Amino acid sequence: MGSQAGKTTAEKLAVKNGITFYRINSDKFKTARADLFFIDDLVKERSSANALIPMIIKRGCAKYPSVRELEKKLEELYGADIDGSVVKKGEMQFIGFHMSHISDRYTDGEPLFNECCDLLMCMLENPMTEEGGFKKSLFSQERDNLVDYIRSRVNDKMRYSLSRCLEEMCEGEPFAIPEDGTEEDALLLTPQNTLEIFEQMVSSYPAYAYISGQVDDRSIQRFIDGFLARDRANVKKVDLRCGSKDVKQVKKVEEKMDVSQGKLCMGFRTHVEPASEDYYPLVVYNGILGGDVHSKLFMNVREKASLAYYAQSVLEKYKGLMIIMSGIESENRSKAEEIILKQVEAMKQGDFTKEDLEAAQKSLETGLKSMQDSQGGIVDFFLSQHLTESGEDFDSMIEKLKSVTADDVVRVAQNVQLDTIYFLKPDGRRQEGTI
Amino acid sequence: MNYLTTTSERLNETIYEYDHPAGLKVFYVRKPGYNKKTAMFGTNYGSTDNVFKVPGRDDEIVVPDGIAHFLEHKLFEQEDGNMLDKFSRLGASPNAFTSFNQTVYFFSCTDLFEENFRMLLDYVQNPWLTDENVEKEKGIIGQEIMMYQDNADWRVFFNLLDCLYVNHPVKLEIAGSLESISKINKELLYDCYNTFYTPSNMVVTAVADLEPEKVFSITDNMIKFKDKGKVEKRYPDEPEKLNREYKEQRLAVSMPLFNMGIKDNVKAEGYELLKRRAALSVVLYHAMGRSSELYEKLYSERLINDSFRCEVSLNTGYGYLVWGGQSPDPEKTASIISETLKKTASEGIGEEAFNRIRRSQEGLFIRSLNSVENIAREMLDSYFIGTGLFDEVKVFEELDAGYVDKVAREVLDNPSALSVIKPL
Repeated sequence: MGSQAGKTTAEKLAVKNGITFYRINSDKFKTARADLFFIDDLVKERSSANALIPMIIKRGCAKYPSVRELEKKLEELYGADIDGSVVKKGEMQFIGFHMSHISDRYTDGEPLFNECCDLLMCMLENPMTEEGGFKKSLFSQERDNLVDYIRSRVNDKMRYSLSRCLEEMCEGEPFAIPEDGTEEDALLLTPQNTLEIFEQMVSSYPAYAYISGQVDDRSIQRFIDGFLARDRANVKKVDLRCGSKDVKQVKKVEEKMDVSQGKLCMGFRTHVEPASEDYYPLVVYNGILGGDVHSKLFMNVREKASLAYYAQSVLEKYKGLMIIMSGIESENRSKAEEIILKQVEAMKQGDFTKEDLEAAQKSLETGLKSMQDSQGGIVDFFLSQHLTESGEDFDSMIEKLKSVTADDVVRVAQNVQLDTIYFLKPDGRRQEGTI
Repeated sequence: MNYLTTTSERLNETIYEYDHPAGLKVFYVRKPGYNKKTAMFGTNYGSTDNVFKVPGRDDEIVVPDGIAHFLEHKLFEQEDGNMLDKFSRLGASPNAFTSFNQTVYFFSCTDLFEENFRMLLDYVQNPWLTDENVEKEKGIIGQEIMMYQDNADWRVFFNLLDCLYVNHPVKLEIAGSLESISKINKELLYDCYNTFYTPSNMVVTAVADLEPEKVFSITDNMIKFKDKGKVEKRYPDEPEKLNREYKEQRLAVSMPLFNMGIKDNVKAEGYELLKRRAALSVVLYHAMGRSSELYEKLYSERLINDSFRCEVSLNTGYGYLVWGGQSPDPEKTASIISETLKKTASEGIGEEAFNRIRRSQEGLFIRSLNSVENIAREMLDSYFIGTGLFDEVKVFEELDAGYVDKVAREVLDNPSALSVIKPL
């Protein structure tokens, strides 16, 4: 199979039953892996079930009906890994199933790919079921775990404040649904309705499969041929548009908690669609404003004013959002907000140097080149390109980012609109410096 | 240039090793086909090194908690600007960390490795401290400390260390407290710098796709500082007994969180330490890993969930085994685990489980060699404990079930401590 030396590519191998199979061409890694993703619209009715499915699937299959037996098997396979995950990107949920193992070069010739793929397929084709639903004991245990997991969002204050800010900002929009769904919806699940959604996932969610590492052509063909031998005639379409919304008034939310440090989260609408050409200037814009240690936010909030340990901005590509986050003392809140908004305003005025622009572009270039040294990173990148049908690879993406001009950045800056300010405020019970 | 070349057929990797005349070791691994290049410059000096002799002076000094970490922050500031900014203008991503026994400065990049590497070697040798920039940093580090105070995973772990250790400074917060950092000044920082930032106490590691000569000749040109002699530091004696059996704290969490642990006071060094660490890892996974009877029991009784982890940390001077996660009933979980550990120690591991877990641990190590940062970090870690990167896999090849059983009997019967974070 052809690949240009030094270039990381995803080669389309087959489209079968609405599943597109790709092979990642790169043989420098010591591991081989297979990743599959099922994609669904983020909706209240299925979000919790979509989150629960990988948790149940990871617990075993007809051939290895307990975690203990499954894990023993994986240990024998030189610490092979089988995992499931759910992530939210824009108003979509990605339900991922992953397998990886060390390459045959390191196993004294024992080939692992086929056996690991069979395990993965067993979990998708023969999950543990009874009476028209998932196995009851297994189901109720994992549903409880999901509820615990949803509740434990509060444990990580940085992640919690981010998720609360997004929830408040997008109230009434599907994006307000957290990536694991809500407790309320999780409690409505039963072994039967969850299995039903699992069946829908397997038969009708759009799916992408990626194989990477040193795997021979025959094994790849075997994987494709044996993959989900069921009818997938009615694969649905997911909606990629981010549903841009004009902001009438800035929403301010304050939540008190027994914490030492306040967390400030400011949510902005960028009005840039993920598949639009403006996405590239937006990425550069974010780099200059708060993407790295050379950025305006890091320099002004942390280095100059000493207000925070972290001050950064992140983009949510598929919903067209930008969030600025910083951990500060409560009394410094208005000072921090003022400095942050001043930086956002400076971007609109084009108040940044040629060096700032180039530093952001270089840092993005480094990021994209580095990503090619991680199998998971490569898969993530191509999945995103395949979804938006951008047709970009790493090199062309770098070129696009490099060709962004200061004028392009200023242009996208004009449309960046503050929507919500969320502050997780120390309630004062916790005295500074004590535990 | 004279340098040593060691190849591992098993791992399909080669290490190049260079001795700089100033007494500094440089280790390099070439990764063909990788874009990312990284270099680390580390000193064998961390948060536990609080009592030491400053070269040229007779008395021993005691410094405020958190000073190693404070110094790490300050080295980034140079007379002509901030290093973070300078690296990122060259497209590199710079960072540093301070652990119990190391301070490590590093960057990763894809282009301009030579320029970045020179900058790294240069700034670590040239601190620029003023009363003003030291004061300024207290605000930033103060916020870092407060961030950790709200971090339940962090708190539960340090509370456990406080239970395990009576005297050893591993129990102290790496960044110190708001109170301890208020006592830090320019002079104390220079004392620390002048003691620990000396070639024979440091190491440089790099991973890239370049000729080894290139890496070594840059080191040759850039290393200017002279060795200040052997570092003399002192740790208090640590008794066998626990400081306390239990510690509890309340934080804004959804359900209780626990860490439980045992300390291992054995004074092992070098390869022996590595071997002991490997044996303890095998025994811990055997006892409570995902393939164990105990894990299955606790999970099915809903006493633990997916957040459960276990880990062995064995270093020169201190060691501990730690495990934990979320649990609705930490006390009950802890007592079941304690009983099982005693049983594991007396029954032994058995050949089947030993071979299976050893194989999986080897696989995990091989997997870690996919990452240039991991390789650079592993080389640095192993140098500081007196071994080499390839020993990490050799040790598993040479391990046997008998040795694992012996170490298990020595350690698993030690008293365990429990740290719990409860919801408000």
